[in-house]
Parts: sequence; structure tokens; C-alpha cells
Amino acid sequence: MAKIIVITSGKGGVGKTTTTAALGAGLAMRGKKTVVIDFDVGLRNLDMIMGCERRVVFDFINVIQGDARLNQALIKDRRLENLSILPTSQTRDKDALTHQGVEKVLEELRNDFDYVICDSPAGIERGAHLAMYYADEAVVVTNPEVSSVRDSDRVLGLLSSKTRRAEKGEDAVKAHLLLTRYDPARVAKGDMMKVEDVLEILSIPLLGIIPESPTVLKASNLGSPVVFDEQSNAGRAYGDSVSRLMGEQIEMRALGPDRRGLFQRLRWRTA
Amino acid sequence: MTEEPARIGGALSRLSRSANVKPRTRPRAFVSEMPRWMTSRGSDSRAKCDRESFGQELSQMTLFQDATVSSNAKHAAAAVAPLQVRGRFFTAMVLQMAGSADDAFYAALESKLAQAPHFFTNAPFVLDLEKASGIRLGGDFVNLVRELRWRKITLVGVQNGTIEQNRGALSAGLLTLQGGRDQSNETGNGSAVTGSAAQAESEPQTSRALLITEPVRSGQQIFAEDGDLIVLASVSSGAELIARGNIHIYGRMRGRALAGVNGDKRARIFCQALDAELIAIAGLYKISDEFPPEARKQRVQVLLKNEELCIEPLK
Repeated sequence: MAKIIVITSGKGGVGKTTTTAALGAGLAMRGKKTVVIDFDVGLRNLDMIMGCERRVVFDFINVIQGDARLNQALIKDRRLENLSILPTSQTRDKDALTHQGVEKVLEELRNDFDYVICDSPAGIERGAHLAMYYADEAVVVTNPEVSSVRDSDRVLGLLSSKTRRAEKGEDAVKAHLLLTRYDPARVAKGDMMKVEDVLEILSIPLLGIIPESPTVLKASNLGSPVVFDEQSNAGRAYGDSVSRLMGEQIEMRALGPDRRGLFQRLRWRTA
Repeated sequence: MTEEPARIGGALSRLSRSANVKPRTRPRAFVSEMPRWMTSRGSDSRAKCDRESFGQELSQMTLFQDATVSSNAKHAAAAVAPLQVRGRFFTAMVLQMAGSADDAFYAALESKLAQAPHFFTNAPFVLDLEKASGIRLGGDFVNLVRELRWRKITLVGVQNGTIEQNRGALSAGLLTLQGGRDQSNETGNGSAVTGSAAQAESEPQTSRALLITEPVRSGQQIFAEDGDLIVLASVSSGAELIARGNIHIYGRMRGRALAGVNGDKRARIFCQALDAELIAIAGLYKISDEFPPEARKQRVQVLLKNEELCIEPLK
């Protein structure tokens, strides 16, 4: 039986899809059969980040509406045999998602995979609601700035009240905080919220801190999940987060700027 | 004498003007007299009923009033009713008599009265005739009423009498009552009553306060409809706490708190760390800009003083 994990945030642009790709790829690299699902109907992105946009024939909505079988819509990743992608429709909207349809697809995937990662759209409306509804765990992606933190807080409230687990009175959805686009230099200057401040407001366990890094954007544009780049700080931080998601105890790495020149690194140390 | 001739038990017969007494058979004088006993008793607030309140209170028994008073109302041109009739419960003592009203009965009664000389003064008494076979005729009742009144006991009616006894009692100006319920039964094993009695007993056990142990997130609204709201975790900015009573927050308070929303001006808000967006008591509010700077992130209580919202440090 697979664990269903929703990657959510409330706010847009904080790195949900990047995180979905990275965590999905990271779990597959560790030998777990993993499927990533794009719930952002109408704004299809996950397939691009995963580098399989040209291979999409059928999608999530086709499966929900019975136009295609699940196996026809699932795309197997070329780099990792344990990784599959269920892309979404670019031409439809969120109303095409139904409770019964989503439940049927997730139940089917649950039997075949170890991890089902749902990439939630931004917002708290239908798409986001259905992405989180059947989840067992949640990764709340947050940037260290006030609006993102508040939206994450709102989403945490919804996770504790508007999910199947909450409605059936089962154990609450286990929520993890993933802090992305964290820039230690700006935190030191006081431009950015500190980890402790974010944790104090959200009061959920920290899954990882992903430093702001140009490699993330580069990886997205190349369609290669950033976790493949084990040389970059961001790639390593995602790798650690994957391990923690699997239950391993790993210390948080000291955060430094990513791959700077010697001179800059020296300057950083004195700062 | 094997049997105690007279027993004044804790038995209470409930007199209800609406239920036990048929209006048609009730003498008018009796209606106006009834409150007087109770005012003189004075102990039971429910039983306090002077003529003024008797006149003012007419809301409940309108049907009853129509049935008995409408003919009068027609004469009085319906503008101001000359009298009003309401149903009301009174507590009466039941005097159980065995045998007849002989010397032994009066001796036992006097010894009983000697224990509490003023306790029964002017209390309405109902005579239980179940075992009182020796008292039958109207003259017996007239004598008994006179003897009792001389001992400051007011007999108003009889119960459990035979047809002959009832006729005699009526001719002596006494009521014949049916039913009545012992007070002991009310808290004892009467099935209909134990339900409400048990409910009344269990009520203090279930607190009316609402206890929240999880963090209250942005966009969540917690409403304590019945009383106090206690939050053990933090309250995020954008969350709202609403309570009819007081609000207690033991975590960081960043949201809004509205206490005494039903207008209770005695309601208060207690914070371990005040960082709220808004606080309000009984509709009077302050936003965070108006908080004194020294109160920020401190342990405070918020209360109303002379229609003004005050934030005071908790010592």
C-alpha cells in the first residue's frame, strides 16, 4: 500500500512542482516505486519539469472520465525505472476533477506503488482541495516570507479539517515543512525570515531547507529534477529531505551559498 | 396506641392552579387569597406572589385565561382586563392522619409543632384521609379546621378521601385534591423525574468551556457558543476566536479574539503572549496599533472598565 503525499503550499510560485519532481525522483533513486501526479489541471507543468512533455498522450482527466486506462496515461521515466508520471490536461479546468474519479485513480495507484506524490495547484479551491483530500502526509512548501507563511498556515488548517482523514476522524494528515528559496545572506541581513521564526508560526516538523540556488531554475529548464545534481547545495538538500521523508534521521546541513568562488567564500565566512 | 396518630412528613402536595384545580369549581375568594399565604411564607422565591405581580404576569396561561375570564372581559370592553389568571405551582404540606381527630392526635401534633414552632405558621396544609376513617362529616372538618387554625396551621384541602369524606370537606369549604407528589420522589426513583435530575447532576461534570489543544490556523474560526474558550496552542494571524464567555490563550496569540460576543461585559481575554491583530469584549474592540507598546508579547488580561477596553499586565 502506497503512501499518498501531497505537495502543497497555498501560495503560488514557491516551488511545489520543483519539489514534487525532486522528491519523486529522489524516492525512485532510493528504490521506491513512485508516481507523481499533476493536479494543476489547465496549467500543466510537472511533465515539463520531469522532462517528459513530448511523451504525453493521455492524461489524468482522460483516466477520470474513462477515456483511457491508467496504464495508458502513466509515463515511465527514462532515467529511473521506479518513477512514473501522471500528467494532467492542459485544455481542461479544475472542474474536470471529481471526488470519485480522483479516489478511483489514487486507489488504483496505491496498489502498484510505494509512494504517490500529488502536486497540488496553488490556492485552496477545488484542485488543491482534491489534491490534499486523500493524502496520508503533506509536504508544505514555504518560502521564508510572510505571505507564503500565512498561506501555509491556512493550508495546514485545511489539512486538519478538510481531508478524508480529518472527516473520518482518523489520525491527522502528517504535515512536514519544506522551506525553499532560503537565502542565508538575506536572512543575515534581516531581509528574510529566519527558520526559527517560520517554525515558530507553523509549528510543524521541518523536513528540509532548500537554499536559493541557480541550479534549481537550470534543472527545471532542462527537465531534469534538481535532486540529480548531487553537487549542488539544493540537490543535496532535496536528497536529505527525501531521506527524512523515508523516516531517516539526518542532521540539517549548515547552509552556505552555492558554489561560489574562493574569494566569495572567504568573504562569506567573515560576514 | 400502636400507630402514631399524626405524621407531618416531608410529603409535599403540589398545588397548581392550572392542573389540579378546576377553575369552574374554584371559589373566586380562594384565588385572591392564595398569594397571601405565600407572601407570608416568604422562603420560596417562586412562591412569592403579591397582588401586583399577580396582576402583571399573564403571559403564560392565556388559554386558561380565555376559558375562565373571557365573559368578564366582554363586560370590561376588553381594554383592561379586571383580573388575570395564571398557572402556578405552590408547595403544600401534607398531614397524614390516622384514626380520628382525637386528643392523641392533637397531643402528637402539638409535640411536633413544639420542635419547630414557626416552621408551619401559615403554611398551606392538605389533609391526607387515607387512614383517617374517624373523620367524615362536614362538622368534623369544620371542627378540625378551627382546631388547626388555633394552632396556626391552615388547612386548605383534603386528598385520598372517600366520597362521603370529600362531600364533608367541600361543605366545610375545603378543596378535594388529587395527586400530588412527594418531594422525596422527585429526587428519588420517579422515572420521569430522574431523567432531568440526572441531567442536572451531570451538567457540572461536562464543562461548558471549549478546549482547543491544536494550533488555530489562519482562516480557522473557533466559536465557543456556551462559555469560555481555552486555547493551549498558538493562534495564527488570520485566525479568529469567538466566545460568549472569557477567552484564555496559552500559546502565542497572533489572531483575533472576541470575548463576550453576546454582550457580556464581564468577559475577559487572557493571553500568555499578546501579539493579536484585534481584541474585543462585548463588541468594543482595539486593533494591534492601539495596544500599548509595553503590552506587546507580554502576559496580559483584557477587560472592560467603564466602557473602555483595558489591557493590563498579568502579575
